[in-house]
Parts: sequence; structure tokens; C-alpha cells
Amino acid sequence: MSVLTETAGLQAPRAKSAHRKGRALENVIRLFFGGNAFVAVVVLVLITLFLIREGFGFFGGNLQNLRSYRAAGLEYVDIMRTQAEAHAALSRALSEVRVREARKLAEQGRSLEEMNSALAGFDQFATSFSDAGNNLAGLVSDLGDQAIALKERAATGEPADVAALRSNYPAYEQISAATTVEINALLANPPQLSTPEAQRAFDKVKARMRTSLAEFPAEAQRLREWDPGRPVRWYESITSFLLGKEWITASFWQDWYGVIPLLAGSVMVSVVALTLAVPFGVASAVYISEIATRPEQNLIKPYIEFIAAIPSVVLGFFGIAVLGQAIRALSELPILSWVPFFPLSERLNVFTAGALLALMAVPTIFTLSEDALRNVPRAFKEASYALGANRLQTIARVIVPSSLSGIVSAILLGLGRVIGETMVVLLCAGNRIAIPDFTEGLGAFFQPVHTMTGIIAQEMGEVVQGSIHYRALFMVGLVLFFLTLLINLAAQKISARYRMSIG
Amino acid sequence: MKLTHLALAIALAFVSTEARAERLVIKGSDTLGAKLVPQLAEQFKAQNPGATFDIAAEGSTTGIAAIIDGTAQIGMASRRAKPAEISAASAKGVNMKPTIVAYDGIAVIVNAANPIKGLTKKQVEQIFTGDITDWSAVGGSSGRISIYTRNTSSGTYSDFKELAMKKRDYAGSSQKMAGNEQIASEVGKNANGIGYVGLAYIKAGGTKVVPIDGQLPTVQSVHAKTYPYARPTFYYTNGEPTGLAKKFLDFTIGPVGQKIVTQVGFVPIQ
Repeated sequence: MSVLTETAGLQAPRAKSAHRKGRALENVIRLFFGGNAFVAVVVLVLITLFLIREGFGFFGGNLQNLRSYRAAGLEYVDIMRTQAEAHAALSRALSEVRVREARKLAEQGRSLEEMNSALAGFDQFATSFSDAGNNLAGLVSDLGDQAIALKERAATGEPADVAALRSNYPAYEQISAATTVEINALLANPPQLSTPEAQRAFDKVKARMRTSLAEFPAEAQRLREWDPGRPVRWYESITSFLLGKEWITASFWQDWYGVIPLLAGSVMVSVVALTLAVPFGVASAVYISEIATRPEQNLIKPYIEFIAAIPSVVLGFFGIAVLGQAIRALSELPILSWVPFFPLSERLNVFTAGALLALMAVPTIFTLSEDALRNVPRAFKEASYALGANRLQTIARVIVPSSLSGIVSAILLGLGRVIGETMVVLLCAGNRIAIPDFTEGLGAFFQPVHTMTGIIAQEMGEVVQGSIHYRALFMVGLVLFFLTLLINLAAQKISARYRMSIG
Repeated sequence: MKLTHLALAIALAFVSTEARAERLVIKGSDTLGAKLVPQLAEQFKAQNPGATFDIAAEGSTTGIAAIIDGTAQIGMASRRAKPAEISAASAKGVNMKPTIVAYDGIAVIVNAANPIKGLTKKQVEQIFTGDITDWSAVGGSSGRISIYTRNTSSGTYSDFKELAMKKRDYAGSSQKMAGNEQIASEVGKNANGIGYVGLAYIKAGGTKVVPIDGQLPTVQSVHAKTYPYARPTFYYTNGEPTGLAKKFLDFTIGPVGQKIVTQVGFVPIQ
């Protein structure tokens, strides 16, 4: 209403009043824009506060979680379990040795029966070794039941008394001693394998067996020294989250909320995405701004920017249906069998997700880099040509260096986009909550991972509101938030600081 | 004039529905309450206009507690009431009456090209907990096993732990899929894959169901209790159900209800 009178006022011949009304209009406009900006800021602050409020409750809950883990003796049982699991891992290593030997024998054209008889001694060894661990596994399983019962009782408020649990220590010592004797007897008389390659692998496993035996006294020491009353410090709740290597939820045993596997997944996917997207994005920006003719520019530029319009869920489906399958089919080609980690068993892995995310980062990197390149003053280029440099020299020595800060911040903003992407990684990263096995070298980039964004999307819908799991997901969200915040800040700082002085 | 008529009609309609509206409160297991009971309720409402439902699926324990406290007419449960719960109920004069409404079965599937003929319960436990990582250890051709599971907060995720894994944790190498459909499609595409799905999904292309201790999950083997990864699911009521609760229970175990049971992926009671 007032705006209408303003316009009427402006048309009026009396200049003074028109002037006053013009100021009033200006005020209204100022209030309108200022108000909107203010609302946006308030909403952002509220969201941040909400995130922090929901998330920080996690630490109290997690501390409780860690305390009951110690008080109910779950920690005690887990010391023994580590030993039992080391044994199981060695059994698995033995069966891998067998697979290797069997494959070599099959290549030599032996029949199945010949193979089985040649491997009979080894099988005997492997079975005896595996059986040697049965007693300990049984004890761990029994004690585990007791500890769980203690934990449940403690949850109802009764004090947990771990004395009964610890009274099993002599049994443990007995079993441990018997196992040592058995394994030493086995190691004294190991079978021979016919192929040198398998024999080498077997020797390695035997060495591992010896080191694991040597650790038995240390384990026993830890069991003896274990103290249920040792306080869990408040910061352990934070470190167990930020440095925790396990994310195990809805467990009957103990829930762990460690962000490292998820962080590793997010970072690896982003590394792949940027490795692919940076050359494409920057090179095409250079081409468009420096080399391309006008019709080429008109064709390529909107086309690349159009990629940004593809919904990420569509890209995700493309990844599942086409790209993942294609990558696996490629890895199964006989010509590529020299690549150590081929053929791939998982089609949904870091690379599949990263390749798709690269597609989403290219438009961001391209557009912003191109802006940076265009902002290089014309005089720079002309000066370079005047000094006799050709076009390639001008691009490489003058134009790209002088817009480098803009390009770097474009890349960082692309990274911010990639690390926050959810749908593609949820569908295509394979969702395995484990730190990839880096001993495989580049093969680690072809293993499935789970990501910070993916886990929030996957689990938030089904957790009980207000539970520790729910709060843990908010904490993951906060970590993600700070990560993107840092990336964006870095992008701003770089473009502000290292801008080449123009003029 | 016309307006008053209309208003009167609307008011009457309200009064009449108000009179006929009956409310049925159902609480308990999310295995039943997530999909099956809401679908049964929809169908039931179509046949009995005026009935309204209040369904809360928060776990079997809440269902049984609700019957004891009298806050629900039907308690859904995927397990039988514990002795402690039964004695708590009788102390309040509540007679817990279970009625089996469906069986819940989980099938273990592998790729159709996998040569294995069957697994034992022990082997399934070892595979899913990561004790065994190679198919050659269970009589298959050698290859690293890829494990596909439901996501951590799904009911089936912990049901399977309880039924098949002695409550142990899944192997760290397991991959959490969004649903039955995605597990079936990954196993169908991966020669070394293994996973589990509800019985409604066992016909997915490229997969085959593994017999467990020689038993395939069929209606017969589930009824005969020879298939290990199956269990009955219950409606708990306070004594004989009456009124709308009785009608709904009869509808559930009747032919129409049991047809829905089959469609949703459960095993019917007969």
C-alpha cells in the first residue's frame, strides 16, 4: 500500500515531498532486503545450534556406554577374544595357503584326488591347528554370555560383580598353556608343500604363528592387570569417536561409534573424484577461455554446465546399472589379468562412486576456473604476445599462473560439493563399514566403503530418536559440517590471498 | 434453505460415523507392524467402514507390555512372552493369550552359478561372522566371499543375528544394502556373493536359495519347524479377544488375511 503512495508521490510536482517519500521508499527496500538477510542468518544459526545440541549429547551417552563396557567385564572378555580371533585369522591364512597350492597343482594338471592326497599332510596340520583354538573360543563364548548377563543386570541398576567372570582366569591359563604345547608340537613337524610359492606363504604363516605364541604371556598379563574399577576418563568418549576404527551398531555385544572408517571412505571417494575431475574441469576451462572458437564455446559451455542438472539419484542408478557392471566386466578381461587386484569382486566400490562424483564436480570446477581465467587482464596476454611468446607459452606461463588462486579455490569448492554428496555414494560405494585394506596398494580404491553422508542417510530413518545412535549420527553430521566449512574457508582465503596483483 | 439441509446432513453424517467408529489399538513388533499389519488394516477397513486403527511398531517387548498395562487390545510379538512377563501379567489379573498369525522366514541366497549344494547352520554362522572368508572352505570353488546384509537398523538385521549367528556381530567386510531387493540384485550379479532375504524375494533372477542343514525354506519346512531360520509371530490378547479385536484377529487368520500374509513375504499358518 505504502509503495503505491510512494509512486504517486514521486509523480507529484512538489519536489520536496517527493524527496522525503523517496527516502521512505529506500528505507522500505532496505528493510526488505536486510530483513531477509537477517532471517537467513538467524535460520542458519538455529540449524547450527540444533546440530550441536543434538550431537553433543552423544558424548555423555558414549561415556556411559564405555563405562558399562568396562564395568560389566566386556572389556575383559574382549582381551581373550582378540587372542581367539588371532587364532581364527591364522586358520584362515592356512586355508588361503591351501587354495594357492591347490591352484598351482591344478595348473600342473593333477586330478582332484591326486591333489587331495598330496595335501593330506597339510590338511592334517591345518585341522589340528584350527582345533587347538576350539577350547579358547568356547571359553570366550561362555564368558561372553556371562558378561552380557552382567551388563543387562547393570542396566537395571544392580551393581555388576565381575568376580565370577574373573574366577575363570585359571581355566584360561590352562587352555592357553595347552594350546601353546599343541601349536609348538605342530610347528616342530610342519608338512612340506610342493610349490615354492605356496611354501613361502606357508613359512610366513608359520612365522606369524610363532609371534602370536610369543604374545600369549603379554595377553595373560593384561588379563591379570585388568581393573574393572579403572575410571573411564571423559575425553575417552571423544577420542573413541574421533579416532575409533569401528562403527558397530545394533550389536548384542557392544556398540562402537568410531568415525574413522566413514571418514576414510569419504576421503577416498573424494580423492578419486578430484583426480578425475580436476584435469577434465581445468583443461576444458582453459580450452574454452583461450583456444576455442565462438561456435565451439557456444556448444561446449552450456553442455558441461548441463551435467549439473542431472539429479544425483539418476547418476546413482546409472552407476549401479551400467558403470559398476562395466568396470567389473573390464576387470575380468584376460588382457588385464596382470593388474594385481583384478578381477574385481565388488562392482560397487570407491572407484565407481568416485567416477560418478567426478561427473558432478566437473561443472563446478569448470565454471569457476573459467571465470578465473577470464578475469586475467587482457594486458597480460598482450604483453606476453608482444614479447614473442606463442599461444601455448602464454597459457602455461602467464594465464594459468595468474589465475591459479581462482583455479585452486574452484577445485576446493568442487571438493566441498563431492564430500557432501549423498545419493551417489549411498547407492554406489558398496556400504562396507571398514577401513580399506591399504596393503593392496591401489587396489584399496576398488574396495567398497561407507561414507559419512551415506551412513546418515541410511540409518537416520530407523534409529530411535534421542538414542545414542541417533546422536552419533548427528556427530557425524557435525564432522562433515566442519570439514566442508574448512574447505570453503580455505577456498576463500586462497583466492583472496594469492590473487596476483592486477594492474 | 438448501444450506441448512446440507449442514444438517453433514452433522448427521458426523454423528453417525461417530457412533459407528471403533478404535483398535495395536502395539508391538516392528517385524509385523512395519508392513503386514498396516496392510491387513487397510483391507479390513475396506470391509468394515468405520473401524479406525492406531498402530505403533516399537518392538515385541512394548507389545507385550501394552497388553499387561491394558494400553492396547492387540500386542504384536515376534517371540513368545517370557516367564517373567507372564507372571507380571497374572499378578495384574491379565491372561496373556498368544495366537500365531504368520511365520517369518529368512532365506539364505547365493549366486545361481555357485556350485555349493547346501550349508550347515554352523557354516552360515562362520560365513556371516567372517570366520570363513573363502568359498573353498565350505565346499565351493575358491573365491573370496562377499557378504550382503540389511542395514544396521533393520529388524531383519538383528533377527538374523539372533537366529543364525548366535548373536555375534557381522563380519567387518559385510556390505549393508538398502533392502531385500538390492541384496538380491547384488548377489545375482556377484558369483561369490551371499546374502539373506525375506521369503517374498527368493525368486529374484540370478540367485538360488541354499538349503540349510538340508532344508529349503518352504511352507512345509517352516510349519514342520525343520527350517532353522523361521519363527512364529503372534498377536497377544488379554484372554479371548472380543469385539473389534476378535474381528481383526479372525480376519488376519482367515483366507483374505492369510493371502496378504503371503503377499507381504511371510509364511501363512496353514
